[in-house]
This record gives sequence, structure tokens and C-alpha cells, in this order.
Amino acid sequence: MLLRLWPEKTKVSFMSLRFVALIISVTALLASAAMLGTRGLNLGIDFAGGAVIEVDKPEDVTADQIRATVTSLVTGDVQVNSARGTGPNAPEIAVIRFAPQPPVGEETPDEAQNRAGDEVSAALRDLIGAERYNLRSEASVGPKVSGELFRSGIIALTVALALMMVYISFRFQWQYALGAVAALFHDVILTMGMFALTGFEFNLATIAALLTIVGYSMNDTVIVFDRVREEARKYKKLDLSKVVDLAINATMSRTLLTSGTTLLALLSIFLFGGPVLRGMSFALIFGVMVGTYSSIFVASAVVLLLGIDRGDKPKREVEGFQGVG
Amino acid sequence: MLNFPLWKVGLILVALLWGLILALPNVFSDGFLGIEPKQPADPSNTTAMAAYEQQLQEAEDSWWFLPSGKLNLGLDLQGGVYLLMEIDPAEIAANRLETVQADIRSAFNRNPLIERQPPVQNGDRLTIEISNPEEDMDEAVRRLRRLNPTIGTTQTELFDVAQTGDRFIQLTVPGNARTALAADAQSKMMEIIRRRIDPDGVAEISITPQGDNRIILEAPGEADPKRIKDILSQAGRLTFNMANLDQSAVRAAVNSGRAPPRQQLVDSIDYGQILINRIPELTGADIATANRCFDEANFPAVCFRLNSSAATKFYNLTRNNTGRNFAIVLDGTSMSSPTIRTPIPGGNVIIEGRFTIEEAEDLAAIIEAGELPAKLNFLDERTVGPTLGAESIAAGSRASLIGLALVGVFMILAYGLIGGFAVGSLLSNIVLIIGALSGFGATLTLPGIAGIILTIGMAVDANVIVFERIREEQANGRSPATAIQAGYERALSAILDANITTFIAASILYLVGSGPVKGFAVTLAVGIITSVFTAFVVTRWFTVLYLRLRRPKRLAM
Repeated sequence: MLLRLWPEKTKVSFMSLRFVALIISVTALLASAAMLGTRGLNLGIDFAGGAVIEVDKPEDVTADQIRATVTSLVTGDVQVNSARGTGPNAPEIAVIRFAPQPPVGEETPDEAQNRAGDEVSAALRDLIGAERYNLRSEASVGPKVSGELFRSGIIALTVALALMMVYISFRFQWQYALGAVAALFHDVILTMGMFALTGFEFNLATIAALLTIVGYSMNDTVIVFDRVREEARKYKKLDLSKVVDLAINATMSRTLLTSGTTLLALLSIFLFGGPVLRGMSFALIFGVMVGTYSSIFVASAVVLLLGIDRGDKPKREVEGFQGVG
Repeated sequence: MLNFPLWKVGLILVALLWGLILALPNVFSDGFLGIEPKQPADPSNTTAMAAYEQQLQEAEDSWWFLPSGKLNLGLDLQGGVYLLMEIDPAEIAANRLETVQADIRSAFNRNPLIERQPPVQNGDRLTIEISNPEEDMDEAVRRLRRLNPTIGTTQTELFDVAQTGDRFIQLTVPGNARTALAADAQSKMMEIIRRRIDPDGVAEISITPQGDNRIILEAPGEADPKRIKDILSQAGRLTFNMANLDQSAVRAAVNSGRAPPRQQLVDSIDYGQILINRIPELTGADIATANRCFDEANFPAVCFRLNSSAATKFYNLTRNNTGRNFAIVLDGTSMSSPTIRTPIPGGNVIIEGRFTIEEAEDLAAIIEAGELPAKLNFLDERTVGPTLGAESIAAGSRASLIGLALVGVFMILAYGLIGGFAVGSLLSNIVLIIGALSGFGATLTLPGIAGIILTIGMAVDANVIVFERIREEQANGRSPATAIQAGYERALSAILDANITTFIAASILYLVGSGPVKGFAVTLAVGIITSVFTAFVVTRWFTVLYLRLRRPKRLAM
């Protein structure tokens, strides 16, 4: 017997659960907003500016020594964390991060940032000893670029949402587009709330993950919508909530299988892909789960709320693609 | 949907073969079938290095039948320095206006002489007070308009000339001139940066413009950002000036705070401070080549050769000033101020100092590359050391293999033999992705690897949609052939809509993202296209072949 994640021919009434789902979603959204408002996002240096330096940490150099060295050179917040690289015999690593530096004298803020970064690297080299010093990575972002990166990230998300809305309105009806976009906002806000809650670093890679979540969630929603459209055409007299339920039941097995394989792939990145990809894969794992939920309980519920045009004009949308394959 | 005429099968095979051929160089990269020549441990051993290079070349020649395009690894995988720099257009305008002052002086000194006060420059604005405006004003404005230079290859003039009040002329650099100056400086500076960072032209550094006034430097392999920034933060303005080392004259100038007329005080590496003539005898533009060499005591030094006209000038200078000193001044500091003992022919000059080999090499590169027209501001700097890069490659490949295995097992568990077909098309999908990325010369970054793994997970989606439809149709009592037919037909619109929306997200990400994130967008976008192709064409072809050969009564799924 082959693996079944969802039994055949089910008649679960998902839409009768939509008010329960509404309460869950609204609560989660409010909680996310509260998290974002109170704890805020742990912005990485891409967006906050500042510097991060990663060096191999020999046994005889303590984190406190490193912290003292760095604190004596820079103003503001200094964090020193220990980590371990991946692979056998991986050495211990010190991850040093400090805030953007205020300019001294005639310097620009960007110059101050640069100077501090160079001074800290040189001091670390002295502290650890030139022959043992191994710079794993260093990043220093001035205030000018960090502001730009943040803006372009927000613009990217907005433009992506707008374009998808246009595409869905064009391929389906505007009610579907609104439903899909509501689901996307839901997913993005919950994922950001999760980042505020866990304190995972929010950086450029996270924006990439958010955009991918938007793409994935949209993908999922479109599959359900496509089926809603088909069933609505087939059963013209049937109540819309029944139609939506039919569509969700019919696609449920696919939804779970695809989420399953995607999550398996993501889990392997999260567990084996090394520390650099951990934040990104975390966002994706959470986003895929939320996206799967939202295509059923947010996107479809919004369509049900708005109603769809079920006039008997012949639909030709599908045929445009039928020459392919 | 179930009809595969010969030409269609041919096209599928060609596409797969094309992907395979493009992907293969990555397997055979530096040797044939894993037999890689060993890189000598000591890179300064030239004979060993030459032998190694030859072995590499031979290895490469042995797979001549394959294309040469390989996946470029991003800086986050192979290690290296990324540096985003900016030029301030106002500063370029100011610098350019300053150099024009000499031309203004000679234009005004021409007969009939125009009397004026020394010009006052404030940023990109120059004010000249004319002493006898009634007689000279019109002529002064005319001369200034005539000498107004155009910028680079454009027709844009450097400044606007305006008379303000009765006695003053004001030169301002307008907005369009600033833009032209920045564009001109950007391309010039990219060339100077290349010559400074990579004087031998061997490293695979990439220098690209961004916007009007930014430059991105990507130097793979190099893990010392400080050295790169040091080389690039020097203006590189080199001059030869006659010098006065007399201690009492220098002390008098320091104490009074005023240098003798036409002279100035500068810092000196070997004498504290010295006096030099304001007007230089020679400049950096007169230098033909500069190299790291060794002085008589075998310390690293910088040797350079003047071009032929400057060499003559230098010979005359040394002949007329035997016994006096000249100074080689770099960015306001005297690097060397030797006494002239005999006239020096040939134009060969050496700067001795207590340099390390690295310092001497960098200095030679700076001198030969020439002066930067403006200061570079470093906005964003990212360095990845080779250790982290290697770890990331290992982690990325491990995660890919595990992800692939998990998804493959899952698909076979869920759909049995047909699931196996999907796994086969998944493998061909990966070959196609790698082939396409290599063919485009795209850069593979760590997030890009994550994109491939994510595609592995999502690529099966199109298969799953179809298989679920087939299951349904079969449950409705259809025969395998008609079920497959209907499954593919009905799934098509959903698959296309779903993938086009994801493709939109990937395109946006590509347009606004930078570096590693861009790499993610590329693999995601390529993966979407190849996965639709493999799911819809390759899996279907496998399934149809199976139907034809086995003629099953019922599909086990």
C-alpha cells in the first residue's frame, strides 16, 4: 500500500471552520503586530548598519578578552558570541558585532564605520597572534547603504505583491486576487512576527525568504483557486461554500504532499546547510506551513466572503494554454 | 497528450543532452575524471607552478569536446572581498575646478594682461575679482568662456561663467556637468582601480559600475580587505619637487608657520619635515612603468622609469642642480629626498625606504596606475575567508544530497513506480539547472544552492498535481491511458498559473537583490522553468513509454 497523507474522497467541511480560523488568524496577526511593536526585529547589519567580524577563537583566548579589546575601540553596543563551524574538528568561532560608529571630527559616518572595522580587525590580529589569526568573514555596512537596502527590500515585497495581484485578476476574477493578497499579507506578517519572537536575525536573506514564501503561498493558493473555478463551473447551482469545500478536499492530498516534500528539502537545509543558511531556511519552513494554512483558510475564505461571478458566460481562460505540451 | 511522435522524443533528448553537456565541465573541472594535478605548496616556486599550469592545460585539452563555461562560484563560496565604493560628484567638480586654475592664470597673463586678485574657490564655485572691471571685464569673461573645457568625450562644458556685481566673475559647475564628470570619473577610476589591485592582470577580479557614481569591486580569493582599502584610499598624486633640507630654514618655517615664497612644508619619511618648491618639476603622468625591486642593501624598493621626454627633463634637472636635493612626494608626504650627486640619464629612479615586499609592490602599483580623480568612499564591505567558503560548499552539497534523497524516497513511497519516474525527471531537472546556470555563466552562491534545494522540493509539485488528478480519474473508473490523458490536460492551467506567480517573485528578487540574494533568484527562476519542463514533458514521456511497453490494466498509485 502506498503512502497516503490524505484519504481519498473526503468531504471535510473546511469552510464551516472558517470562523474558528478567523479567530486564530486574527489572534496570530495581533500577536505578531504586538511582537513587532514591542520586541521589534533583530535587524542584521544589512539594515541596521555596523559590522560583524568572525574569527577562529583559540582555546586560550576568552570571549571576555575579545569583548574588552573591541569595547575599548568602538562606541555603542558590542556583542561577542561563540559558535562552532560545521564539519569534524571545527574550531570554535568568535562572532563579534558592533553598532554603527558615530563620526569623529570631519569624518562622514561611512568613514567612521570603516575606520572602526579596520581598527578592530588589527586589534584582534594582535590579540590572537598573526600566525593563528584566521578571518572567517567580515562585513561592514555604512549607514547610507543600510538605509537603501531596507528601502529596496520593502519595495521588492510591495512590487511583487502588486504584480501577483494583477496577474491573478487577469487570470481569475478580482475577488480571487483580493483573497490571494490577503493570504500573502497574512503570511508575511506572521513570519515577521515569528522573527520578532525568536530573535532570529532579519537581513537581506530573510527578505529573499519572504519573497519566496510569497511565491510559494501564491502557488498553493492558485492550485486551490483553479479547482474552485473548475468546480464552480461544473456545479453551477451548488452553494459557493460547498464548492470551495469540494475544491479544497480535492486538492488536499496534493497540498500536503507538496508541502511535505518542500519541508523535507528545507529541513535538510536547516539542519545540514550550515549556520549561514539557518535564518533563511527557518523563515522558509515557517512560511511554507503558514502559506499552506492561509491558502485554505484565508484566501478561500475571503473569496467565499466576497462571492464570485458565476454568470454563464463561456470561460475561455484555460484554453489559452492548451496548445502547450 | 499521450502522443509522442519521433520528432518530439528527439527534441526532449536534445534538450536533456544539451543540459548534460553544459553541466559536464563542472564534473571534469580541473582534471579528467577526478585526476587533478596537484598544486605546488610553494607558489613562488616558478618551475613547479609552470609545470602545474601545463598539467592543468593538458587536463583541459583532454576534454576539448566539452564547452568551457563552468559555474562561477560566488564570493561567499570561494572566499573573497566585495567592496561597494562611491565617488562624491561635488568633490570631483571641486577637484576639476582646481586644476583649471592654472589655465585661468595663463589665460589672464597673456598680453594684454588682466589684473585680478587671486581666485577664491569654495567647493565647486570659483570667484575671481577683476581689478579694473571697466577695461577688462568683457575680455576676462571672453577668455574664460574660450578656455572652458568639455568633459571626457561629451560636449558638456565644465562651468558656467557669470558676472556678479561690478567686479566679480563667478564660475559654477552646473548639474549636467557634474553628472558628466561623475560618469567620466567612474570609468577612469574603474581602470585605475583595476591597475592598482591587479597590476599584472592575472587575478579574476571584477569591477563593475553601479548607478552614476558607484563602483563595485569583487576580488575572489583575497581575504585581506584592509590591504585593498589601503591601496584604494590613497589619491596616488606623485610629484618631483626640488627640496630644501636645510634644518635651520625648515625650523624657521615651522616656527613662523610660514614657508618662504613659492615653497611649502611637507612631512618627510626620513627627515620629519622638509621644504619643497610648490611647483613640481615632474608629475605622476610622466612615469612610464613602476615595479617592486631591491636596493643595494637588498631591501625592497620601488623602481620606476620615466617616459622619454620626462627622462630628458630629469637629466637636465639633475645636471643643473648637482649637490642639491629633490623630493619624491606622494599625497603630500615626501617618500624620499636624495641629494643629486651626478646627472642621471635614462630616467630610472628608485625610491628606497624600509618597505616590506608587500608595501613596495602596492606602492609600485599605485604609482603606475596613476592618480585617482576623487576620493573613494567605502559604503559596504564584505569579506569571506577561504575556510568559511569551503565549509559552505561542503554544507551546501550535503544539504542538497540529503534533501534530494528524502524527497526521492517520499515520492516513491507515495506513488510507487510512477513516483520513480518523477524522481528520474527530478534528476534530469537538476542536470538541466546546472547546465543552464553554466551556460549563462551565472554565479552560484550559497543562497543559490538553497534555491536549488528548494526547487527540488517544489519541482515535484507539478508531478504531484498531475498524479493526484490521475488518481482521481482512475478512481472514477477510467483506464490508465485515459486517466493519464485527463490528468495532464486538467492539471495544465493550475501548474502554469502557479509557476508563473512564483516566477514573478523570483524576477523581482533578481531585479532588486544584490550578490548572494541575486544568486538565489537566478537558481529559483531557472529551476521553475526546468521543473515545469521536466514534470510536464519528461515524466509524461516516461509514463507513456511504460504504458506502451507494459500495457498495465491499472496504475498502482
